[in-house]
Amino acid sequence: MADNGERLRRTMMFVPGNNPAMVKDAGIYGADSIMFDLEDAVSMAEKDAARDLVYEALQTQDYGNAELVVRVNGSDTPYYANDVKAMVKAGVDVIRLPKTEDAGMIEDLEKDVLAAEKQFGREEGSTHLMAAIESAKGVLNAPEIAAASDRMIGIALSAEDYTTDMKTHRYPDGAELEFARNMVLHAARAAGIAAFDTVFTNMDDPEGFYRETRYIHQLGFDGKSLVNPRQIAMVNKVYEPTEKEIENAKNVINAIEEARRKGSGVISMNGQMVDRPVVMRAQRVMKLAKASNLLDEEGNYIEK
Amino acid sequence: MEIKQTAVAGTLESSDIQIMLSKGNDGIQIDLESDVKKQFGDQIESVITETLKKFDIDNAKVKAVDKGALDCVIKARTIAVAQRALKTADQPAWEVL
Amino acid sequence: MYESIIQLNLHDKKKRAEWMTFMKSLGIADFSDKEVDAIDFTLGMYDGDQLVGTGSASGNVLKYIGVCNKGVTQGSRFNAIINALTSRLYQDQVFHILVFTKLKYSESFQHLGFTELAHTELAAFLETGSPNLTDYLAELPKIDQPDRQKIAGIVMNANPFTNGHRFLVESAAKESDWVYVFVVSTDASLFTTQERVKLVKEGLSDLQNVMVVDGGAYMVSYATFPSYFLPSNVNNVTYQTMMDARIFRDQIAPALHIGTRYVGTEPLSKTTNIYNQTLLKELPPKVNVKEIQRNKNESGQYITATNVRRAIQEGDVTKVKDSLPTSTYQFIKDHLGILQSRIKKGMNIDGN
Repeated sequence: MADNGERLRRTMMFVPGNNPAMVKDAGIYGADSIMFDLEDAVSMAEKDAARDLVYEALQTQDYGNAELVVRVNGSDTPYYANDVKAMVKAGVDVIRLPKTEDAGMIEDLEKDVLAAEKQFGREEGSTHLMAAIESAKGVLNAPEIAAASDRMIGIALSAEDYTTDMKTHRYPDGAELEFARNMVLHAARAAGIAAFDTVFTNMDDPEGFYRETRYIHQLGFDGKSLVNPRQIAMVNKVYEPTEKEIENAKNVINAIEEARRKGSGVISMNGQMVDRPVVMRAQRVMKLAKASNLLDEEGNYIEK
Repeated sequence: MEIKQTAVAGTLESSDIQIMLSKGNDGIQIDLESDVKKQFGDQIESVITETLKKFDIDNAKVKAVDKGALDCVIKARTIAVAQRALKTADQPAWEVL
Repeated sequence: MYESIIQLNLHDKKKRAEWMTFMKSLGIADFSDKEVDAIDFTLGMYDGDQLVGTGSASGNVLKYIGVCNKGVTQGSRFNAIINALTSRLYQDQVFHILVFTKLKYSESFQHLGFTELAHTELAAFLETGSPNLTDYLAELPKIDQPDRQKIAGIVMNANPFTNGHRFLVESAAKESDWVYVFVVSTDASLFTTQERVKLVKEGLSDLQNVMVVDGGAYMVSYATFPSYFLPSNVNNVTYQTMMDARIFRDQIAPALHIGTRYVGTEPLSKTTNIYNQTLLKELPPKVNVKEIQRNKNESGQYITATNVRRAIQEGDVTKVKDSLPTSTYQFIKDHLGILQSRIKKGMNIDGN
């Protein structure tokens, strides 16, 4: 598992790699992660141009604190090798491999990335990886895929291809994705990496989007892939912690502080020992609260 | 280097620049169409020329239609069109990127 | 707000009806076979299920472009359609693109890098890409100190080259220092472009001050001028010839210092008469027009390429022998079978 700390990954916004207007503006919407797409959003004749465009944009554009991800073309295409090299050279944070079927594909990608890091003088290990799961085989192999490399930071479900592979299509209630979602999520949690839910493409159905986002939030996903910047605020809204959650988290943080002051290795609250998952959840809640602008400068909850 | 075939990269959509590169024999000749030609014409042309120089292209006709592209977009499109015109699009010029 | 551009199959009846309804709503009503059958591909832009824009290409000519701008930024759909059409042509290695359009759209095209070559009150003719008019003119043979010379120009399709053409060029060559003979390059005649150029060159090889050159995209034969967007009461031939005359007057003649254009009279062809009338009206005073009376052959008949083609169809070339230079006559005799089979396959021989 790569050191991803507790980076927030609520929103991963897809940006077509050959569209300068969208590549240029990708940083202004406040997405936690920006995913430049060299794969499905780019026609075969424009693969080279999209690669050049994303490369040059990454050299010069300011994307703030967003995590920068590039979806390269599949390893069975003639574009894959150049995509990987160029994006490692560009110093992208994460390379997303589409159509991941087994751990071997991630291991191969890791080798290719390492070779590129050496070739272009990038720090070895600095390029992280994530896998998109788009088939029945990929879902069944999700645990080994998620654990295939120390560079892995996340695993994502891609529902369009997956439902096709399953001889179905997407329905509003998402029943067809239930197994895959749980599998991907468990694989991610077991490997200690992030889990991303699939995109929701019908922009005319905000109700459906909220329903689906609340559902995957409930399951425990870190966040969702998005195709439209308008969806960012909607996801963030769902991921906003409640006042009560923030109060609890603050109590935990205070307990940590207290333990530190006392020089004690044991954190306790109300006479109970606070274990690691609770600490991590509290830190995450505080991060979310901060990102959602729910705290004032002193860390107090702002009444809305 | 010698241009092997006429090539185009980029689109006519907002924030992009479309560049056509074809054989020439009188240096780099740029025919630029842009709404901001007065203010930024020289800048746009110099990004194109600089980038072509990195490919050792000294003679070429360039037709560019700018729709408000940033320098990084101009550079990216020039790289793409140069590699297409040189028939090397499948071997990225790492030293130019 | 998310529009997609896809290819429209006009052979699909339903699609074609949808496309025609859309074009009609934009005031385009001419869907004659001559215009529509020549289309190579058509793109459609959809907003959901709604067709909101379209454009087609026929060879390197853009056609039937229309967009609905309701509720969107003016020009954005137009740009997207033109971008999609040109990108597709560039991918097919077609780098020189022409468009004939209503005059009011000329500026929109210029905004996308097109250059206007000529316009009339109704229509404009524009090009983009490479090689363009500048490249074409640069390739033509030049004369030293052209401003001190009398230079003439003649445009011919020469389908095939006859003694009538020869007489016209001879007349110009006698009265001028140099003569440019432009052979129309559109390949839509019984004799291929290559054959026509070859026969013109051979038939004029003894004249030292004559240069036979390719007419390029700029001496346009009637066939390639789309006219579907013109009001139905406009005479297409008049509009086409006016455009042709203006390109010659404003672009070709000044670049080559051509002072006089020579044309043959055509007592039997109404189209040619209209053409000559238009040239007489449009070219002077910048370029003089000199009409040369069409000569008759030894049997007292007017020499026309049309008669030659009819003789080929009938298989009796000897009866037009005295209308033809030896080179043309010999070529026809050697290739009679091929020429006749082209006619049988449907090549129209009654045009020009």
